[in-house]
Amino acid sequence: MPKVMNWQIGREMEYPYEGKRPDAQFAMIIDTNKCISCQTCTVACKTTWTSGRGQEYMFWNNVETKPYGFYPLGWDVNILDRHGVQDVDGPVYKGKTLFENAPDGTVVLGYLPEDQDYAHPNISEDDSVGQLGKGAFLQMPHMQWMYYLPRICNHCTYPACLASCPRQSIYKRPEDGVVLIDQSRCRGYRECVRGCPYKKPFFNAVTRTSEKCVGCYPAIEQGRQTQCTMTCIGKIRLQGFISPPGKERADNPIDYLVRIAKVAKPLYPQFGLEPNVYYIPPTHVPPPYLRQMFGADVELAQKVYLTAEKDKRLLAALLLFGATPNILFGFKEQNGFAVGLDKQGKELVRVPFREPIFIRPGFDEKFQTHRSNAT
Amino acid sequence: MKQRLKESVCAAALCLMVVGAGALHAEESSVLQVGRVSGNGPITDISGPLWDGARSVKVPLQPQMVALPVNPNAATKEITVRSVHNGEWVAFLLEWQDASKSDVVVVDGFGDQVAVELPVDYKPDALPSPMMGDKGSHVNILQWRAVAQLEVDMGREVTIRDLYPNAPNADLYYTSRLPAEAAAPYRGAKGLGNPISERSGRPVLDMMAEGFSSLTVRPQQEATGRGVYRDGMWHVVITAPMVPVGDHAPRLEPGQGTAVAFAAWDGGNKEVGSRKAWSDWVTVSLAR
Repeated sequence: MPKVMNWQIGREMEYPYEGKRPDAQFAMIIDTNKCISCQTCTVACKTTWTSGRGQEYMFWNNVETKPYGFYPLGWDVNILDRHGVQDVDGPVYKGKTLFENAPDGTVVLGYLPEDQDYAHPNISEDDSVGQLGKGAFLQMPHMQWMYYLPRICNHCTYPACLASCPRQSIYKRPEDGVVLIDQSRCRGYRECVRGCPYKKPFFNAVTRTSEKCVGCYPAIEQGRQTQCTMTCIGKIRLQGFISPPGKERADNPIDYLVRIAKVAKPLYPQFGLEPNVYYIPPTHVPPPYLRQMFGADVELAQKVYLTAEKDKRLLAALLLFGATPNILFGFKEQNGFAVGLDKQGKELVRVPFREPIFIRPGFDEKFQTHRSNAT
Repeated sequence: MKQRLKESVCAAALCLMVVGAGALHAEESSVLQVGRVSGNGPITDISGPLWDGARSVKVPLQPQMVALPVNPNAATKEITVRSVHNGEWVAFLLEWQDASKSDVVVVDGFGDQVAVELPVDYKPDALPSPMMGDKGSHVNILQWRAVAQLEVDMGREVTIRDLYPNAPNADLYYTSRLPAEAAAPYRGAKGLGNPISERSGRPVLDMMAEGFSSLTVRPQQEATGRGVYRDGMWHVVITAPMVPVGDHAPRLEPGQGTAVAFAAWDGGNKEVGSRKAWSDWVTVSLAR
């Protein structure tokens, strides 16, 4: 089996195909600290892509409450349990990836969810890890906690769905790294549903084929960010492209946040798929839980995020989340503004570090009347 | 991708070594005699005098252990096969034990299936791999699917309420208010005419292959058949024209020979794709 380089685990690993990175790689950063689980992204995705027959319980984008929320039920704990205890500490991952842990005669360690696992897409919504006892007080990390985890397909550099498909019906686009299932070629074997640890390929019982998040490719082909990013009312997402390891550009907001500031972390990097949705970890959650979910340096990411106000460049990159529907290829900090740039370096958007303050006098001279706060 | 191809070639070589394990029982005839019957057109009877004179051959099936993922615990161990032709159409009657009828296809529900495989160009001393043929040595695969049979029997396609009886009885879908052409992009594989998704009126798909991962539906669909589940057994007839339209299907003539291989998928055992049981080639002799 060929060896490929996975920068997220700091070492080479086995993968069924040779390692050839796409010309551009779809990527997204999600700030979990700002998500309120309003599900606007979920609904935007649903109405755009999955409103057809057989897609009734299919959510390419979902938001679940961690640690007890799952869609499908138990998706991560099920695969973590099968994967066994792995050593995730240190810059070089010492444990096994899901490809290296594949049972004999299979491509990747996986499992097939049951039909009813999809029946409660928002199970355990808002459930905390426990109740606050007498004498509890607010501290960091919180004594009892929960947080929201928005999820789409990770458009992995080394997709397990693609590796699992015996028909080679799944492909990764060279132009943007988006992973797609060829709907005219799929025969509904569900090997991708078994193989993907994130459980983001779904089986459609009406078409009898598997379907998955398409990364809103018709939008990104036009230089627009995905539906889930553009519709987010909390402006918690940034979608763009991540550069190959070693070719990071400090002026690419995705590269800067993921590779330079190291404030955004991949989801379960130990699985070995090199997922390309990156999460700014929640600052109020105890690191031992987050380490198994986002990798070894999660405490550093929390620290960097909490001190962002001191780092103008970091602040600039964070302020550009949800600031424009267009994909940003560059950014800069300029005189108290975060400036987002297109591929040619042309300004797309300008966001002030501090919104200007306007003071309205209590008396309106024009209408000769007193103003009151009518909220 | 190249590496994958290399592995497939190695796998094809390996399967030649595996073939010995699937040899026919000594007491059984090693030749499937295809008796001549009267009539014309497709032969879709699964019982009746048509089959009385046809000699059966018990074909052992073995777990698919070459292509990934493998299926070490394949449920189907043996298929009883009879075959007849009427000069225009050839038919294979396949009967095997199956503890459950599986024709509900949901994420964790798989349908029963069976397939007949024929070399496109029969050369007795240079047969293609029985495991879906080889590059340049094509096979024709006729696959019967229980879920397609269900749709034929119902005379309509499976709906959400067939799969989930408590689903709301409401038209929630804007595609039903659009003209077919406008709705196509919103219908996924159905909109693209994927034969796995579309109800065709036949329970059999006529396909070709030239090795693992290459199974492709032939443009011209003529093969058909019928399957009935009775007393813990499937009784399935698969029939195809002896002179097919188009490429990648064998031309069969009375008095000549060919070879045939079989594969079975037990949906109850979650078998699908490469998770199957398969047979070695069986020699076939067509009566004049």
